[in-house]
Amino acid sequence: MRSFLFLLKFSYRNLWRAPKRTMIMVLSLSLAAGFIIWDLNFANSGSKEVMKEFLSQYAGRYQLTHPDYYEVANSKLFDNYKVMTDEQVTDKSLFATSTRRVTAPVFLSGEKKTLGVLMTGIEVDSELRLARLKDTVTKGEFLSPAGNKEIILGKRLAERLDVKIGGEVAVIGQALDGSVANDLYQVRGFLDFGGGDLEDTLAFTQITSARELLVMGPGQYHQLVQFDMSHETLPKIEGLRAWSWKELIPEISVSIGFVDNFTWIVSVIIVLVISLGLANTLIITFFEREKEFDALNVLGAKASWVAWSLLLEVTMLGIVSMILGCLVGHAATTFCSYYPVNLELFTNGKAIIMGGMTIKPLVKFYPVAQYYWQVPLMMFFFLALSMIYPLIRVMKRRKNAV
Amino acid sequence: MQFEMKNVEKFYQMSEENKVYGAKDINLSIHEGDFMALVGPSGSGKTTVLNLIAGLILPSGGKLFHAKGEITSFSLEERTQHRLEYMGFIFQDYQLLPVLTVHENIEFPLQLKNFPKKEIHERVEWALAQVGLAGYGKRFPKQLSGGQQQRVSIARAIAGKPQLILADEPTANLDTKTAQEIIELFKKLNQDFKLTFVFSTHDQRLIDQVQTVLYIKDGQIVKTEKH
Repeated sequence: MRSFLFLLKFSYRNLWRAPKRTMIMVLSLSLAAGFIIWDLNFANSGSKEVMKEFLSQYAGRYQLTHPDYYEVANSKLFDNYKVMTDEQVTDKSLFATSTRRVTAPVFLSGEKKTLGVLMTGIEVDSELRLARLKDTVTKGEFLSPAGNKEIILGKRLAERLDVKIGGEVAVIGQALDGSVANDLYQVRGFLDFGGGDLEDTLAFTQITSARELLVMGPGQYHQLVQFDMSHETLPKIEGLRAWSWKELIPEISVSIGFVDNFTWIVSVIIVLVISLGLANTLIITFFEREKEFDALNVLGAKASWVAWSLLLEVTMLGIVSMILGCLVGHAATTFCSYYPVNLELFTNGKAIIMGGMTIKPLVKFYPVAQYYWQVPLMMFFFLALSMIYPLIRVMKRRKNAV
Repeated sequence: MQFEMKNVEKFYQMSEENKVYGAKDINLSIHEGDFMALVGPSGSGKTTVLNLIAGLILPSGGKLFHAKGEITSFSLEERTQHRLEYMGFIFQDYQLLPVLTVHENIEFPLQLKNFPKKEIHERVEWALAQVGLAGYGKRFPKQLSGGQQQRVSIARAIAGKPQLILADEPTANLDTKTAQEIIELFKKLNQDFKLTFVFSTHDQRLIDQVQTVLYIKDGQIVKTEKH
C-alpha cells in the first residue's frame, strides 16, 4: 500500500511536471467530454421535445384499439369494422388524458372534384383540451363542440376541391352496416400543416357526425388516443391492443433513432480525433523521458513499475478531465434548461416539418444521468487505446545501460 | 568475493565478418571493500564492463557470478531485481528524478525494496548525513548545485547499503573543487563502511585514490595496478 502511494505520488507529480502541456490535455479532454455530454443531452431533449410537439398535435403517445383494428405489419391499413367501447377500457383513469376517435376512409366531393380522404370524427371538447390540432387551423375556425356535420380539412385538399369556408362538401363512404353513407358537411376551417402531405389527405368532423355517417352505435369508436406524454409503458387491457406511436408512425421513430445514433457516432469521432492528438502528445512526453525510464530501470524499477506509473499518470489525467468535463457539460446543459434552444436557429428560421406536420419546438434540456458515466467511460476507453503504443514501447525497452 | 567475471566478452556484430568488441576476455573478481577504477580512453569499453557487471547487458560469451548465482542466466526481471537488492548506482549526470524531493529520491530504491517506513526514514537520514546534506531532504534537485546533486546521487546509492556501488564517470560533470570533495567522500565511505566501489573514470585524481586500477583498451584489461 505504501509503495503504491509512493507510485501514486510519483505519477501525480510527473503529470504536472509540464503544467502547460498537462493543462492543454486536460482542457481538450474536459471540453470534449463537456461538449459531448451537452450534445447528447441536446439530441435527447431535442428528440423528446420534437416528439412531444409532434405527438401532441395529432398522433398522441399511444392508441388503444380493437386488437385487429390495425394490421400488425402495416399500421396504415385498418379494419373499420373493428370498434371498441368504453366498457372494454378497464383502467378508467385513462379517459382523463385520452380522446376518442372514429376514422373513416371517405370521398369528399366539391363542386368540381371528388377526392379520397381520411375523415376522423373527434371529441371536440377533449381535443381542445388535450391535443394541439386546433393550432393548425389557420383559416376559418376549429370545430365547435356543440356543432354537427361541420368539417375542417387540409388547406391543399380544400384548394384541390375548390371549396370555401362556409361552403359545403358531400361525404360519401361505406357505413358499418354495409350501406352507402353520404351526407353534406359545412366547411368550417382549413388546416395548415406547413405544406406537409397531411394537408392533402386529412379531414375532421365531430365524432357524433362521424358515428351517424358510419351508422355506429352511440358508444362505439375506433381509437382511444392517449395524450399524456409521461406514459412510458403501454397499458395491457384484455380485448384491446395498445399501439405505441413508434408502431403507428415508424418512419418518425426511425428518424429520431437516427439522430440519436448519429450524435453518438459524432461523439465517438470527436473522442477518436482527440485521442489521436493525445496519443501523439503522450508519445512525445514519454519519449522525452526515455532516459529517465532507463535510469529507473538501472536503479531497480521493473518495466512494469514504469508502465504502472504511466498508466496512473494517464488515469489521473482522465479522472481530472472527466470530472471537469462532467461539470462543464452539466453547467451547459443546466443553462439550456433555463434558456431553451430554438431549433429554428439551425434552419435559418424555416419551419421544421416532420411526418407532414410543422413543428416549432423550443428545446428545453433535461440532463440524462447515464451520459455522465457513459461519456467518461467511452473517453477512458479511447484514452486506454491511446496508451497502448507508448506502453508497449516502455515495456519492450531493452536499451537500458548507464 | 562478491562478483566474478570469467572470460566475459561482449561484441557487436556489425557485419558477417566484422565484430566490434566492447569487452574481451574479461576476468575480474570484486571483493567486499574493494575500491576499484576502470580506466581508459573514451570508447575503450569501461562503461561496457560496468554494464556487464550490473547485468544491464548480457555478455556474448563467458559468465558473471554472484553469491546468489550466475547472473548471466537470470531473466531481465531477475537481473533488475538483483540490481535492486545488491547494487547501487552513481551516474555521471546524477539522474535524480526531478519530480521527487531529495529525501524521496534517496527513498526511491528503498521503496522498491519495500523497506518499512521507519527504516526508510532512518536510512535516508543516515545517507544524507554521510554526504553532508542533512537538512536538504525537502529540496528538489533543481534547487541544488551540481556537486550537491551528485552527493544526493551517492546518498541514493549507499542508502540501501548495497554490496557493490557502480559509478560511471562520477566526477566528470563537476568542477575541480567539488570533484575533489566527492572523491574524498567516496574514500571516506569506503574506509568507514567498507562499501565496495567500482568506478569508470579517467579522472586522474580519482585514479590516484583507488586501491586497484584496471586499464582497459579495446575492451580488454591490459594492465592492473595496485596502490
